[in-house]
Amino acid sequence: MSSAGAIAERDVALVDLVDRLLGGGVVIAGDITLSVADVDLVHVSLRALVSSVEKARPQQP
Amino acid sequence: MIELLAITDDPAPTAAPVRIVPAGGLGLVVEPAPHGELDADALWRRESLLEELMRERAVLPVRLGTRLEDAAAAAEAIAPRRAELAAALERVRGAVELSVRAAAAGAPAGADGFAATAEAAHARLAAHARASARHEGPELLRAAYLVDRGDVDGFVVTVRDLQHEHPGLSLLCTGPWPPYSFTEGPAR
Repeated sequence: MSSAGAIAERDVALVDLVDRLLGGGVVIAGDITLSVADVDLVHVSLRALVSSVEKARPQQP
Repeated sequence: MIELLAITDDPAPTAAPVRIVPAGGLGLVVEPAPHGELDADALWRRESLLEELMRERAVLPVRLGTRLEDAAAAAEAIAPRRAELAAALERVRGAVELSVRAAAAGAPAGADGFAATAEAAHARLAAHARASARHEGPELLRAAYLVDRGDVDGFVVTVRDLQHEHPGLSLLCTGPWPPYSFTEGPAR
C-alpha cells in the first residue's frame, strides 16, 4: 500500500474513532473534560467533535 | 483526578499498561487524568489499550473525558448500575464492533434508489451481527454492528460482496473496535 493510501485509511479510521469516543461508551456521572487541539485531526472529525460535544452536555434541569 | 477508560468483567490485574480497580466484581480501568490537550496520538494510544484488554476479557468503553476524583469515587459512581453494566458485558462478550458507512459514489441518479440500496445493504450486514445500531450522519448509511469474533471475516466478505454488487455505493468499513455503540440496552 502506498503511504498516501495508509494515511487516508488512518484518517477514515480516525473519524470513526472520534465518533465513538465522543458519541459512544458508557456515560457515568462525573466531569466530562475535553480539550482537543491538533489541527491534524481531519476536518470531518473536528465537525463531528463539535456536534458531539454539544450533545454530550448535561441537560439543564 | 483519574480518568475512567472502561469497565471490564474481570477485576484481575492485566499485563496491559493500565490500572484495574476491583469494584463489586467488576474491574474499573483507570489512569491518571491526562493533562493538556488530546491529540490524535493520545486517542489512538487509548484505543490500543482497550483493544489489548479486549483480547483477554469483556470490555465496555466509557465515554471519553469521564473524570472522577479517585478510584473510590469511580467505584461509587458505578455501584448503582452494577447489574446493568454486568448485563451489558455479557451481551458484548466475545464480540467486536464493526463500523460501516455508505455514501453515494456515482452520479446522483435518483437518491431514493441509493437509499433503498443502503437499506438493503444494512439488512444483509445486520444478519451477520448480534446487534446493530444506526447513527445519524450525512451518509446514506452510518451504522455499527456487534459481530462475533469468529464471524468478522464473513462480515468483511459481505461488505466486499455488497461493494461489488453496488458500484454506485462507496462502502467504508472500519474495525474491529471495542463495543462503543453497544454499551446500552438492546437496540430498540
